[in-house]
Amino acid sequence: MTAIGTPPPPLPVRRKPNGGAQAPADLTSPADLTSPADLTSPTDLTSSAGRPEPAAPVGAVTPAPSPAVPPGLSPMLNRLAAERATGVLLREHGRLYLVDGRIMHAESPETPGLDVLLTMGGLLDTEFWREAVAQAGARRRVGRFLVDSGRVSEGALELCHVGALFDAAYFVLGPSSAPARFRYGAVHWLGPVRPVPVAALERETLRRRALLHRIWPDPATDSAPLVRADAPAEPPVPARQGAVLGQVNGARTAADISRALGRPAFHTLVDLRRLAAAGLVRTAPAAAPPQTSPRRPSIAHGPDGLDGPDGPDASVSALLTEPSADPDVSLLRRLRDALEAL
Amino acid sequence: MANTETALKEALASIEGATGAALVDYTSGMALGTIGGSKSFDLNVAAAGNTDVVRAKLRTMEHLGLKGEIEDILITLSDQYHLIRLLTGRGGNGLFLYLVLDLKRSNLAMARHQLKKIEAELEV
Repeated sequence: MTAIGTPPPPLPVRRKPNGGAQAPADLTSPADLTSPADLTSPTDLTSSAGRPEPAAPVGAVTPAPSPAVPPGLSPMLNRLAAERATGVLLREHGRLYLVDGRIMHAESPETPGLDVLLTMGGLLDTEFWREAVAQAGARRRVGRFLVDSGRVSEGALELCHVGALFDAAYFVLGPSSAPARFRYGAVHWLGPVRPVPVAALERETLRRRALLHRIWPDPATDSAPLVRADAPAEPPVPARQGAVLGQVNGARTAADISRALGRPAFHTLVDLRRLAAAGLVRTAPAAAPPQTSPRRPSIAHGPDGLDGPDGPDASVSALLTEPSADPDVSLLRRLRDALEAL
Repeated sequence: MANTETALKEALASIEGATGAALVDYTSGMALGTIGGSKSFDLNVAAAGNTDVVRAKLRTMEHLGLKGEIEDILITLSDQYHLIRLLTGRGGNGLFLYLVLDLKRSNLAMARHQLKKIEAELEV
């Protein structure tokens, strides 16, 4: 399989005012979860615009896919991989769960969770998923439970899981304007399925960005409500894109369409950019009502492993995942993202 | 009831002349698992590139109004066969198996048959 042999070299430690770059060893105990000291440096933003710091080389195995690619997606993540950390990385667009410095699971409010992919794909019914979470969630062995029950084959679970993981991670590692935090010791209730090295995840995320850019360089269709464009003679579209096109109604965004179809969100972005390139889809005019859909669907399923929606962290994570309501801020973010993509 | 790794290992072990195999998601172009390959033959690159082959064929069929499904695609080089098999199972929507064969050592009919069997075992 695709194992990455070389661990990333130690990062140049940036001196920060609060000295948060190196976490003290005693924080690895789960008992320290609520200690305020487990917040790693709040200055660790990950958008790499104008960042002078030469981040660690990502994946020495293959060359970077394009010269315009930023050197590292998240210096913090590389550091956690190097120190073989276990816990959860909380970022603006979701979470990455690490065990021994490898990614075990990823969740993002932008993407359908593993439960949606499994149930909508017809592999599992919702009832049984709930039962599995209820029975094995506390032991953090839901994945194992599903396989042992004989309802899902190990291969199918792995494929669905790795698909969901890379899908969520694409959004988690996307441009962000909020500080990232890491909580040592937190473990996801799904349990181990197939861990992914950080270098492989970063490489794939960068490849996906480049892929989208190559199809259609305008990222507007990724997040805005969409309408069908009036093409004089609509060329036939492949069935999978046709299903996406059928969901476009002037209000739904890419994330809404993914959930409705039970497909990975990145796949929807790809299909939408192809449809935009073909002139079949464009963003809804500004006069359309802003999106009102609640954007925190799949994360709240089942016992969360650390804190549910009502846990002590709920307000913070709600704050972290909430899209900004200020139009100026979102405009500036889009502008920054567009400049970074150049 | 194999996992991805065993299924790919089995493909390499049981198919005469096989030198590499990958399980690929053709919307994202990501290889969900690879086995074999070499320094000069990066299966991840092959996976991403061959998604364009699959997509082009699907689009052409759409233009022609053909309703059939693609079972597999064969590409014959002077010294290799590349075999692409689209997975049709319940959850396998949008995946394909990619197999590289040494032309001189392989039996194409047998390889296609084995690939079908491996797909069934993956149960995706």
